This record gives sequence, C-alpha cells and structure tokens, in this order.
Amino acid sequence: MSGSRSVRRQPDYFVRRGHLQVALVLAATIVASPDLLGQARQGGAPPTARAAAPVDITGLWVSVVTEDWRWRMRTPPKGDYASVPLTDAATKVADSWDPAKDTAAGEQCRAYGAAAIMRVPGRVRVSWENDTTLKVETEAGTQTRLLNFVAPTQRGEPSWQGTSIANWQVAGGGGGRRGAPVAPPRGGSLRIVTTNMRPGYLRKNGVPYSANARLTEYINRVNEPSGDSWLIVTTIVEDPQYLTSRFVTSTHFKKVPDGSAWSPTPCSAS
Amino acid sequence: MNPSARLGVPRSGQRRGRSTVSTLVFIVAAFTAIPASAQIDFSGEWAPRFWEDQLERVPGPELGDFLGIPVSEAARLRAESWDASIQTLPEWQCRPHSADYIWRGPSNLRIWKEVDPVSRETTAFHAEWLRSVDRAIYLDGRPHPPEDALHTWAGYSTAKWDGDVLTVTVTHLKEGYLRRNGLPRSDKATLTEHWIRNGDLLTVMTIVTDPVYLTEPFVRTTDYELDLRQQVPPYPCGVVQEVDRKKGEIPHFLPGANPYMTEFADRHKLPLDTTRGGADTMYPDFLTKGRTQTAARPAAPPSTAQTPGVRVLPVRGNIYMLLGAGGNITVSVGKDGVLLVDAGQAQMSDQVLAAIRRLQDDLDLRETPLGRAAETRSSVAARNSEPPAKPIRYIIDTHGDPDHVGGNEKLRLAGRTFTGGNVAGNIADAGEGAAILAHENVLQRMIEPSTGEGKAPPDAQPTDTYYTDSMKLSHFFNGEGIQLIHQPAAHSDGDSLVWFRGSDVISTGDIFSTTSYPIVDVKHGGTINGVVDGLNRILDLAVAEFRTEGGTLVIPGHGRLSDSADVAYYRDMVTIIRDRVQAMIAKGMTLDQIKAARPTADYEPRYGATTGPWTTDMFLEAVYVTLGGGKTGKTLPLPPAKPASGRSK
Repeated sequence: MSGSRSVRRQPDYFVRRGHLQVALVLAATIVASPDLLGQARQGGAPPTARAAAPVDITGLWVSVVTEDWRWRMRTPPKGDYASVPLTDAATKVADSWDPAKDTAAGEQCRAYGAAAIMRVPGRVRVSWENDTTLKVETEAGTQTRLLNFVAPTQRGEPSWQGTSIANWQVAGGGGGRRGAPVAPPRGGSLRIVTTNMRPGYLRKNGVPYSANARLTEYINRVNEPSGDSWLIVTTIVEDPQYLTSRFVTSTHFKKVPDGSAWSPTPCSAS
Repeated sequence: MNPSARLGVPRSGQRRGRSTVSTLVFIVAAFTAIPASAQIDFSGEWAPRFWEDQLERVPGPELGDFLGIPVSEAARLRAESWDASIQTLPEWQCRPHSADYIWRGPSNLRIWKEVDPVSRETTAFHAEWLRSVDRAIYLDGRPHPPEDALHTWAGYSTAKWDGDVLTVTVTHLKEGYLRRNGLPRSDKATLTEHWIRNGDLLTVMTIVTDPVYLTEPFVRTTDYELDLRQQVPPYPCGVVQEVDRKKGEIPHFLPGANPYMTEFADRHKLPLDTTRGGADTMYPDFLTKGRTQTAARPAAPPSTAQTPGVRVLPVRGNIYMLLGAGGNITVSVGKDGVLLVDAGQAQMSDQVLAAIRRLQDDLDLRETPLGRAAETRSSVAARNSEPPAKPIRYIIDTHGDPDHVGGNEKLRLAGRTFTGGNVAGNIADAGEGAAILAHENVLQRMIEPSTGEGKAPPDAQPTDTYYTDSMKLSHFFNGEGIQLIHQPAAHSDGDSLVWFRGSDVISTGDIFSTTSYPIVDVKHGGTINGVVDGLNRILDLAVAEFRTEGGTLVIPGHGRLSDSADVAYYRDMVTIIRDRVQAMIAKGMTLDQIKAARPTADYEPRYGATTGPWTTDMFLEAVYVTLGGGKTGKTLPLPPAKPASGRSK
C-alpha cells in the first residue's frame, strides 16, 4: 500500500512547497529592494526614483584631474594608448586616428561619448529631468546624458550618449540572517548601464570603442568633515571588439558651490 | 498507534499550518532584528589593474613630472633636489610604500578581517601588499594614539561605516612620497580613505591632507579587481652595500643643478612651468586660464599646539618618555628605582615629580604573596601592603641647556644615592640626592660659565662625569645596561647619547629633534658637522625591526617618539642643507646672500621658524660659521636668557 500513501502525501507536499516558494519569493523581493521594504511597511504606491533616492548626487561638480593627466588634460599624441587593454584591431584604429578627418565627417564628438565623457575634464551638472530620469550635462562637448530609471519602450537610434538605464543600489541590503538587511537603508549608490552608443573614443587621440561596447557605472557620493563633497564615478567599459578585458577607471568630482563658472564648450576633434 | 502521534509529530495538516506560521515568523524576524551597522566584506585577494597611470605606477614616474598634484613650493623645490640614488642608502633600501601611496603602487593586495567571536562583528580589516607592513584598520571604536607616539609607514587607522562605504582615518604616518620621483609627503599629513565595493571591483578614494607639502587635499581613486587565484608572495628585503660612497654622503642635487628637470617637459612638449604641478593643474580651468591665484596660496604651517603640562608616553618595557617639561625626559622606572635622562625646565620640576610618582604608583613592586600561611605567620599583611616608591637614583644630562638640566637641582634632591664600599674620601653627604651623570664639559660649563652666564648651583651640577668616548653604568639598572656615548662638537661640546641596551632605546638630547632644525650651540662648542656625525652615530647603533621601522626606538631632545627611519630623514635634511651652505660658501657668498638664497626653503614649512628660541636665520648662521664661512659681522646664535642653572638657547 505504499503507493496509495504516496498519492495521499503528494498534495500536502506541493501545498507546503508552494507556501514556502511564495514566502521565499516575497522575502527575496523585499530583501533585494529595501525601498520595497519601506513600502511594505508603509503601504501605498512605490516611490518614484527621485523620491527613493538614497543619496543626492544632484548639483554642480568639477572633475579634479590627479590621474592620467597627460591623457586627459590635453590631446595625447597619436599612438599613446598606455593603460588601455586594446585589441590589435583597436591599435590599428588608434594608429590611424585623423582628427581632421573626424571634423570633416562631423564626428568631432567621438571623444565625448558616454564611455569617455566622465573622464573628460570639466564640470558636470546633475539634475532631475523628471521623477524617473536624471540628467547629466557636461561642459566638455556640451553633452547631455539621460539616466532612465524606467527603461524606454523604444530603443532609438545609437547616439553618443547611448541609452542609459539606472537603478539605485541601496546600502545595507543583505548580509544579515538568511540574507536579511543588517541595518536600515542608509546611503547608497547609483548603478547605470549604457548601451546603444555610437562608436567613439575612450581617449581623444582615437583610442576606440565600438558600437558593441557596454558601459557600467557606479556613482557614489562621500562627504568630508571639511565640507567638501565628492562624487566617485567607477566606469567599466566592456567591448569585445576593441578591448581584451574590461577597462575600468574611477573618476572623482568635487562639489562646486555655484554655477557661475559654468562654461560649456563644443566638441573638438583635436 | 500512529507513530507520529506517539512522538508528538504533527500530522500533515498541522505541519502545513505550522510551516506557514514559521515562515511568517522568519520573515518578521528577518526584518526586525537589525544590528547596529552595515558591513560589506572587503576580504579577499585583490589585483591591481593598471588602467590608470600605468606608466607612472609600474615602470615609475618620470623625473620632473609633478602634474596634477597640489604641491607646495617647498615640495617642488625638494623634488627638484631629489636624486634617485638616495634609494640606495641602507636606510631606504627596504622602505615600503606608505599607506597613502601604496594603493597606487605596483602591488597585489590581500585584505582579511578580524571577527569578534562573541558578537561576530568585524572588528578590523587588515591590508597587506607585496612590499608593505601589515596595516590594521580598526572598527571597534578604539581611539588613535597620542600625537607623540611613534609614526609608521602604515600609520594608525580607524574606520566607520557610512552606508556601504567604509571611511578610514589614518594618522601617525611617517614621511613618505606623493609620487616616486621625489615629491615628498610629510609626517604631519593625515589620510582619509573611502572603500567602496561594487561586486568584484574595489574602488578606494584616498584624500591626503598635508600642511607641509600640499596646498589642497590630494585626492585619487584607484581600482582593484578580485582575483581568487592570486597569492601575495613573500617579500623579504635585505640591505646590501649598493654603492660605494663616503660615510655620511647623501645623494642630492644642489638647487638649480638637477640636469633632469626639463626632460619630462621636453619629451612631452609641455611648458616647463606646467610640469611643475600645483593645485591649478588639477582643475579643468587650467586648460584655458593657466595658473591662477590658488597656486600661490601658502601652505598652512603644521600645527604646533601641544597639550599643556607633562605628558607620559610609554616607550618600551620600563622606559617612558615625559613630554611638555621643556626638553624630553626619558624615565627608566623599576625595582632599582628611577633613572632620568635629562630633567626638563626648572619650573616644571613639580609636574615632572608628579608624573614620576604616577609611574611609580603604576609599577607593582610587591612580591607575589605566597597565597598560604605558614604555621608561624600569616600572609594577610603582605597582601595589603604596598612598598614605598623607589627613589630617583640617577639623572643623566645629555648636555647643559636649561630646558634639559633646569630640573637637576629639584629632582636630584628628591632622589637618593646609596654610598659605601670602595668610595674614596669623605662620603658623608654623598647620599643626599640622586647622582647626576654627564660629560665633563657639561660640568665645566656649569662651574665656569661664559661671560654673562651664571654659575649653576651645586646641587644642579653633575656629580659623576666622564671624559672618554663613552661611559657605562657600573651595573645593570632596572634590568639592563646603560651606556653614555659622547658625541664631540655636535649640539655642544658636552653631548651624550644615552643607550638603554636592553630596551634598545636611545635618548639623543638635542642632536636630534622632530620639531626644529638642529640647535647648534656654537658658543658652547657645537658644529653642524658634529650634528651630522651624531645623527649617523645614532643610525649606526640603531637596528630596524622590519622594513626600516620600529626596532631601536629613539627619544629626541624635542618632539615625538621616533625610530631609525625618522632619524635618517632628519639626517638627510641636515646633510643636504649643510652641503648647500657649504657650496654657497665655496662660491664666496656672504651670510646675508646665503640667507637670501633660502637654502632651507624646501624644509622650512616643517622645521623653520621666524620667531622663538631657534629661528631659521640662527640655524643658518650656525651652519655658516661652523663650516668656516668667515665672520658674520653679527652675534653668533646665543641664548636669549640665562637661567640660574645653566645656559639657555
């Protein structure tokens, strides 16, 4: 009669597993999103990205160039692509860089695309375009990046700044008992993934990235007792065509008290 | 009977109900039990990836490249004098990168954590690079050491969480470098770090604040990649004779004589002025506006504020350091009594005695009670009694300046000498007070002072002198041998180094200071070359524990506790300035011309002074005169006042 006992147990088993699955999914969902934890506690509609921001990165910031000075503060000579893990195909492209040709082709913004722009010296202004979109404007090349917290319904044509999807990384998630948060959400960072970029230059001297490049960025803000505030932008470029490995840089920006010095400049190929 | 029922196991329906309840309990518990702090784990093997500044970080920076660093004029001048050959000196061959630089260096990194076994909280991270010392970063709330404590390559680090960012505060850094081409970072610097982990990437922001060599905080961000296959290999380092050179010779370029300073600008077609760096060069506006006023902003002078009163700093074993009583006082306290090296200013004697009494009180002189009574006596009384403090037995004068010997009289009279045995002559009053030991020239100066100086009272004068190269105490004191080593014509003609041979501690008197240029008391026989020789003598005696730090500890005449690396930096500085002045004398420059040429400019924010008992001008005059620079036409460096117990400076 073991067969009949098995038949009787089966519904219990599936019911129990179903409850557990639901509970685990619920728990995992809440753990993965401390924002949802707040909602679950308070009820109501999910907050907008703007309202849920665990950190304020808006304002005017200036890049402080203490790294890669020779490759950022001026146009490096052709063939100077130190530090960048380029494929052979990439070095060929870099070695054939011709800024005049780029200008003639209307491609003088190649070094101001999303994969490179945060590394170009200048001020950046970060503001909310709307409740679900952060806007990053740059002096260098007068570029505008839109960081969407809600994915666009249409991909659109490739552009210098590509299509950026952002989400908050809230601090304190996980780490506790069975993945529970160990502390109330406090601070956090912004994660941005950008694709759909036009081919551009990682450096102004023609060091290339391709249309297949994928850009991942993390933005953190830290505040010093001196009153200084800094943005730390960690930039990860992956490009199977032109990079032998991912290319990671971190760039820092200091908070500027006012916008009086804001002075956008057009793209320049040389 | 159903076995489940007999064992109290619920039937399936009951189990289902309890399962749901327990799941809900789990969820509630998971979100309500919230410990104090967020903790991201930084542990692991982290590989440097040279996606930034590869040429600077791996092969090494080019000479004369100061771009993008907010260096002060002093830093720039010092780097222009820097000769890479200095790295071949024995003191620098095994020097590791300091905590601020090493993130940017060419080293693999291992981070591990300490976990409290009870709370299971992370109480510390440890970071170790290929060629570094173990760097502990404490998260357990402990305070930083007093400012007079030893400085190290790694400094002293504490940290707190700011969300998932670990913010680290580092103090007590030894002098280091901002870039490996001679740009210095002083031992007055502090460091703030922000550690950020994004998956398998570690990003660290370092913020160096240096009132001596930076005009603004120097900020960098550096990335590491988790590498599970990485092993940080061992990196022992042995010192060898790399270059044959005369003893005491320090490689450096005289001002304006470095032939390599234009190479970088020429190679990269950059204006020479641009390559000199400075805060302006960090900002994008430099591209269009060039240098602005910010570059001329002077560096803030290092803080010299000290806690008033006498401070006690443990050094090693039963050796302590008293600060704030004038010159530093070294104290050996133990079962044999108290031995002092120097006695501080006269007016501080009461505070010094109180500090010594505290040390004596802290010392448990009791014999361990038996813990049982014999049939004829009890141990109860022994348990409750505290023997009286042992007396001050010896005072050793490293030299005769009043900020070091002013307290002789009072401290001596508070002490005691045990006499008898093979002592010749009348010893009736020999037991009144502690013995005072010094080189005989110290006594000579006290009993036959120079014009305008008063004779020291009898109880302030040395009771036992020596005139040979060295003198040893006749016996161990507090468990170790103590040796006085005469250093001729250094700070004065009566200087003694005092070497505690068991504790491995050297008290230097005014041959070495961490607060000023060396005080060369020309009127009392001091010379700059004697100071240089004295510093080299200390280095000959000292043995570093690991990577040129620790080991023999050095108590300077003024300033913080030090080791051989600190002495070596100071020796380099004194030697370089000496060489510059000597070269200027050889050119026929007058003292006024030499002062105007500012041969101390690169060290001025660290050691210079325009007011007070020992100004830069006084130092230069002393160097000039003792190098045979001719008559100055001015009064030699002299004491500003004359206390009764000795000379002043």
